[in-house]
Amino acid sequence: MDLEPAEEHLAVAELARGIGLEVLSSAASAAEAQRRVPENVWKTVFETGLTVPVPEEFGGGGVMDTVTQMIAVENLAYGDPAITLAAVWSGAAALLIARCGTEDHTGLLPRLAADPTSRSAVALYEGHGRAPAEFASTITLTEHGQWRIKGRKLAVAFAAEADPLIVVGMDPTTGALRAAVVPTSDPGVTIEPDDRGLALDACATSTVSFDVTIAAGNLIGGPEADPATLANTVSRIRLAVAAAQVGTAQRAVEYAAKYATERVAFGRPIAGFQGVSFPLAEAQIRIQAVRLEIADVATQLDDAALRDCEDQVTRVVNYAGEVGAESTRQAVQTLGGHGFITEHPVELWYRGAAALSTLDFDPLCSCFEPAL
Amino acid sequence: MSLSFALSKPLVDYGRAIREWGVSECRPYAREADERHRTPENWSKILDTAPVPLGRHDLPHAEPKPTFEESNWVRDVVFYESINYGDVWVQPALGGGIGHLVVSAMGTPEQVERWHDPVVSGGLTTAFALTEPQFGSDTSQVATTATRDGDAWVLNGTKIFCSAGGTAEYIVVFATTDKSLRGKGVSAFVVPKGTPGLVVAKFNENKLGIRCWITSELVFDNCVIPVENQLGWTADAAGGPKQSGHSGALAALAFNRPNMGAMAIGLAQASLDVTTKLLAERKVGFTPHRWSSIQGELAKMDHVLARGRRLLFQSQYLVGRGTPDGAAAAMAKGYPPQTCERLIRRCMQLLGPEGTSKDLLLEKWYRDVKIMDIFEGSGEVQRIVVGRTLMGRLVS
Repeated sequence: MDLEPAEEHLAVAELARGIGLEVLSSAASAAEAQRRVPENVWKTVFETGLTVPVPEEFGGGGVMDTVTQMIAVENLAYGDPAITLAAVWSGAAALLIARCGTEDHTGLLPRLAADPTSRSAVALYEGHGRAPAEFASTITLTEHGQWRIKGRKLAVAFAAEADPLIVVGMDPTTGALRAAVVPTSDPGVTIEPDDRGLALDACATSTVSFDVTIAAGNLIGGPEADPATLANTVSRIRLAVAAAQVGTAQRAVEYAAKYATERVAFGRPIAGFQGVSFPLAEAQIRIQAVRLEIADVATQLDDAALRDCEDQVTRVVNYAGEVGAESTRQAVQTLGGHGFITEHPVELWYRGAAALSTLDFDPLCSCFEPAL
Repeated sequence: MSLSFALSKPLVDYGRAIREWGVSECRPYAREADERHRTPENWSKILDTAPVPLGRHDLPHAEPKPTFEESNWVRDVVFYESINYGDVWVQPALGGGIGHLVVSAMGTPEQVERWHDPVVSGGLTTAFALTEPQFGSDTSQVATTATRDGDAWVLNGTKIFCSAGGTAEYIVVFATTDKSLRGKGVSAFVVPKGTPGLVVAKFNENKLGIRCWITSELVFDNCVIPVENQLGWTADAAGGPKQSGHSGALAALAFNRPNMGAMAIGLAQASLDVTTKLLAERKVGFTPHRWSSIQGELAKMDHVLARGRRLLFQSQYLVGRGTPDGAAAAMAKGYPPQTCERLIRRCMQLLGPEGTSKDLLLEKWYRDVKIMDIFEGSGEVQRIVVGRTLMGRLVS
């Protein structure tokens, strides 16, 4: 056992936390109102190399391991989950190419590593509680040696402007995952921008339907691609949402805790009442449990065996969804009426955590329970 | 005769008529009300289409809400759930408010005749100003002062989160006449709209939800009102009102609180019904074991809402029978909101990322419902009330 964070982990946490607080947090409301991340904010995050992992040989800062990337995501999301995930999701295409691609696609990496205005996307989520092993989207070899892609993907960030746009789907012949670059201009690709209501407006997403045939060269890693590496990478991308929930929840609980030590009622700071302090303490316990679970799953994803840990990822993402939503809820409740107005950021986190909890939701991982 | 939880058919029909009308005529304006932070322009015409009397306070001589064999208190549980089932914008458009409830609880017969009865007969909205920047639940901290000056009171201070404060015909303002008495030094004063020194510092807050409800910040800057505007005041009672404004305010609110629980249930039931219908259309996308689990979840959620309603009806049955029970009212306010938050969130989750889109109202109702566990006595305060009936008041 070794639970001591490495020097690199601490350095990444410090860097990401600093940018989260100083840059992302202060830009969060404006980014939501403008429905896009301000260029200077994007550039700052981009230049850390934490969100677009590209190997040094292609001009990037290297591909960090999963443990380190989750630490980065949590601490950036401590500033704002929407801006963080916008950057992480755009960078996911580079990660996927770096880990699974051949020279057919690695040629894209120098641009993705160097140009902060580049946007890319990985079309992943399908709703209906489907984890990747159950994806209904298919990538099928045709008799002419091309590949047919059919399916519908939800919450695809930057779909319309993505270059490249990568789709992950099931090869019905092998029963394993495949990923392919799809030209967004193809008439078989339909992009419907989501009209976000609850949160995450800073990260414009779309619902994308595919019925396209692509050349063999568009398949990431080619026909002989290793499905294990792809599944492992997809798990990492999914796990990032849990890390973002932890950062958001941690920030909200700390904000509410500070408020509770300053707000006086019935003769003392309200933190002195267990009815106020215990729910926040319970939220903190749950947050730490999720944080450790993410780290544990991340170490397994980093293991040389290249497991996909799919069930574990589904479980931790869904637990993080509940913990994020309930922790931010408790933060609003602690502030009372002040939590309900936009002068305090807790309402933003309350919305963000709930919206994130719907992304990769599986009804089999949790139950509806009444509060009382 | 054994116990019966059944409502009379006329009351059931009344609730259903409001819900069906709300869905077809009011809900289409919900998004607009949320985005513009105000009631739809044509709200009055929309309300004119209601198939049953709603007891509108926005019109003089409007037909009052019908009476049923159940008390008006029980009727109002059905009413508040049903009116909010359409959307939360409808209820404040009907006018009313809660200031006159305090007049009724604390006023002299003359004051009730002057300030309460005209509201009930129609045409007025009233507001209630208690919360200040530095306190909410702990109402003994009232810092707004009322200073006697001859035949007048002079009010000074700031009130926040005052529903309809910027529009109400009058505001019942809680102010202290003697800070050394803490809660016991607090009195309630009727401040009519337009009184010099009454400043609407902020007409409406930017809020997470119920955005079209007017939530005002009011500043009282040497606001002068006649002595007879102090509730409970009579010319021959030298000592002032018997009941302090502090406890009077809470007494007036206690039995309105279950209506907040009913509002939460209205939003949750609306969410559940919308979700159930949409999921049925999407059944083919789910694996059989997931679909089976979802059906169980939907049934459970429906069941849980019925559990909340029983607490509401019990509380208001007791009020209507003349034996009001503060703990029952606190349970009725304390139970539904937090569970309804979870229920609406679960509905969004079952629908996936599309569940949070503006194409649906679930995300709006999730934002709206959050206030139900905060205003008119937070969930924490309801737990204090229930706890005191169990364990007494160890701490004053």
